[in-house]
Amino acid sequence: MNYFQLFNIEESFDVDISQLSSSYQTLQKSVHPDKFAHTSEQEQRIAVQKSAQINDAYQTLKNPLLRAEYILTERGVDMPSEQNTFGDTSFLMHQMELREMLEDIEHASDVDQALLEAQRVFSSEYLELSQQMRAQIIENSDASNSGACDNLRKLKFYQKLNIELDRLEDSLFDD
Amino acid sequence: MAYSEKVLDHYENPRNVGSLDKNDPSVATGMVGAPACGDVMKLQLKISDTGIIEDAKFKTYGCGSAIASSSLVTEWVKGKSIDEAGSIKNTDIAEELALPPVKIHCSILAEDAIKAAIEDYKTKQGK
Repeated sequence: MNYFQLFNIEESFDVDISQLSSSYQTLQKSVHPDKFAHTSEQEQRIAVQKSAQINDAYQTLKNPLLRAEYILTERGVDMPSEQNTFGDTSFLMHQMELREMLEDIEHASDVDQALLEAQRVFSSEYLELSQQMRAQIIENSDASNSGACDNLRKLKFYQKLNIELDRLEDSLFDD
Repeated sequence: MAYSEKVLDHYENPRNVGSLDKNDPSVATGMVGAPACGDVMKLQLKISDTGIIEDAKFKTYGCGSAIASSSLVTEWVKGKSIDEAGSIKNTDIAEELALPPVKIHCSILAEDAIKAAIEDYKTKQGK
């Protein structure tokens, strides 16, 4: 049973999050420890394992990048290992520029403005790549699946940029 | 997880941070990235007519181990021929810095950066 079947939702990249969440809650209730208080140790253990599996599946489908990775893996697409070096020079040059942009924020004359600008740039570029990836996943041809893998790897760099941006924001407004 | 002393030393006092003029025909640039952690590494080499690496600079956005790996590599490649530099293995870097298994990919990134720079040099020379 795959993750979509587990939650009884349509197998598609476009997941209805509210439907996913309500199905998740129903499933978690069915394996809640209270229900197994009077059962054998073995049954309790199985319920705990099921609960962990349901949680893994939910976290995977809720997050668009993890969901994309899951769908592509289920299709048997040959995903390059996470540890493999990414060598798209022009993309990486641009990432370097975005990192520099992030680095310069705290020295900007108007820090708030610089933060907003970085947020705007990161999210618009993220959106463009994720829309491309979505279309490629929906198309589901060999070429489009491999293109989706490539875009997924690029999106991970933006995910990292956003983490760094959040961290910077916390450190700037923490006092 | 604790960093080794050598990693800390390179992290706190990185060697050869900066950029060389990428339009200089004797300057080769290697750009690599690791999607798993979002690290981005740029390694630039200034290479003489006889194929000796005269200068090296790096700029890395990543964890301490990634910065230390690239800093170490700039020290190692200076004065070497491109063939010698190209034979540096990630295991040499990992061993020198006593990297734990989860940080081995940082040394792989640094090795791949040297290879990417040499590749760029050969492309530039071929033109």
